[in-house]
Amino acid sequence: MNAIVKLASLETKMFFRDRLSMFWTFLFPVVMIWLFGSMFVGDNMSQKAFAEYFVPSWIGVNIVTTSFFTLGTVLTNYRETGVLRRYQSTPLQPWKILAAHTFQGTVIFAISALLLMIFGMLLYDLTLPAYIGSTLLSLLISILAFFPFALFLTSLAKNAQSAAAISSLFLNLMLFLSGATFPLEMMPSVLQYAAKILPLYYVIQLLRGTWTEAPITEYGFETAVLIGIAIVSVVLAVRFFRWSGK
Amino acid sequence: MESVISVKNLSKNFGATRAVKNLSFTVYKGEIFGIIGPNGAGKTTTLEILEGISVPSGGEVEVLGLVPSKQLRELNKKIGVQFQATSIQKNMKVKEALELFSSFYEGPTQKDYLIDLLGLSEKMSVKFDDLSGGWKQRVTLALATLHEPEILFLDEPSMGLDPSARREMWSLIRLLRDRGSTIVVTTHYMEEAEQLCDRVAMIYSGQLKALNTPHELLNEGAADCLAFTSAGLSREYLKSLPGVERVENNLDEFKVYCDDQQTTAYHIFAHCQEKGILLADFKFEKGSLDDLFVQYLEKEKIG
Repeated sequence: MNAIVKLASLETKMFFRDRLSMFWTFLFPVVMIWLFGSMFVGDNMSQKAFAEYFVPSWIGVNIVTTSFFTLGTVLTNYRETGVLRRYQSTPLQPWKILAAHTFQGTVIFAISALLLMIFGMLLYDLTLPAYIGSTLLSLLISILAFFPFALFLTSLAKNAQSAAAISSLFLNLMLFLSGATFPLEMMPSVLQYAAKILPLYYVIQLLRGTWTEAPITEYGFETAVLIGIAIVSVVLAVRFFRWSGK
Repeated sequence: MESVISVKNLSKNFGATRAVKNLSFTVYKGEIFGIIGPNGAGKTTTLEILEGISVPSGGEVEVLGLVPSKQLRELNKKIGVQFQATSIQKNMKVKEALELFSSFYEGPTQKDYLIDLLGLSEKMSVKFDDLSGGWKQRVTLALATLHEPEILFLDEPSMGLDPSARREMWSLIRLLRDRGSTIVVTTHYMEEAEQLCDRVAMIYSGQLKALNTPHELLNEGAADCLAFTSAGLSREYLKSLPGVERVENNLDEFKVYCDDQQTTAYHIFAHCQEKGILLADFKFEKGSLDDLFVQYLEKEKIG
């Protein structure tokens, strides 16, 4: 147990040690919300309606970016530079490494989600989630679905470049097709069905729903889908953990 | 003597490439065992099999009574490894690295002793990436020995170190041996093998060519040589002398490898005296592992 706590706290500390990457990680989502705000807020959409629609979605998108770009990239780099190889000849087990990085990712994600929410409250009259316990639970389930999934997918990559390619593909697909950036209602019905294959769609439904409409108990299907993904990806990530690029 | 590693008919293939062929040897408790050979000879592959990272294609391996590829977790509690090309997180401070790796092992570690021994106290809050090569090696050596491993595997421990740092590294390795660890070290520096190792296994293209103490290896195999400068002698003439195995020359500087230095020297002197040829800087040189190494490689080429 001691090893996980040590590793998790060290990895988190080291993320904040790299000021530049920290700055960009936290700035990006806020800038995006501001950009979308300038586009959508107007006669058809009030500030509050915009914020209630887009802030939860961008919090959802943030789970994807953190899982692929922060966690996936870091572990791919560790795999390439031999950091994981060094662990291989100690009694440290793979699941402990994954758990420690999941903790690190959760801290980073929590900070940027909080920043997004505060930004939304200050600029766009956003209120706190109506069912805050449900929202937090939804976030937890979403993290457990996405983090191990990204760790598994990027571990298939041979090097940092191909990991980045895999990550970009998934991020862009989900950005445009899950209703995060453009309302799904605007899209042809084929794409509306396609959206439902992407896990981010369910994350966003859950977050938007619990923010304004109803508690998580009303979203049994979405929750079940995400829990299913979480179980499968944890199993895959641990089973196919790779210590080195070879 | 108690054996801690036993390898029987070990082989390892990567696709069609046979990296290790039919290797057998035993390592005894408390010795410094060297594996030497040119780059790409199969040293690192052999080491990785002993560490359980790589699965052998054939043969039997036993380390501390365990089968490395099958009982890796158990083995990892008892061995320490310093890899050739791995690093730790760039942004991690020395102090943090030592604490992190200590937390991997049950029970107390010799962290404080190692900080003292390796003089790490002044570098404790320096990031790993900001350390020089020598200090990086010290840190990774500390990480490998925190739990007082029964066997310590070192892959090219002095690569990239300057001569004085290398000598320090050797004395540290000897000290760790004196504290009870068995040490398996790979190197392609022959001097390192001569100075450091109790026994040496020479590997070329995945095969064991020789295994003995450095002293015995030299006595058995390495030819002694005569070194001198002369403008009036030819390679062909020197090669034709009785007992000469090999002649190396760089313009008029010659090295003549022979079975019997005195007899060969007599022939050279007699010839030069007779013909009035000038000889200078004449030296009797003892064969080194370096020479032995080249000798084997040349035999390989001819074979």
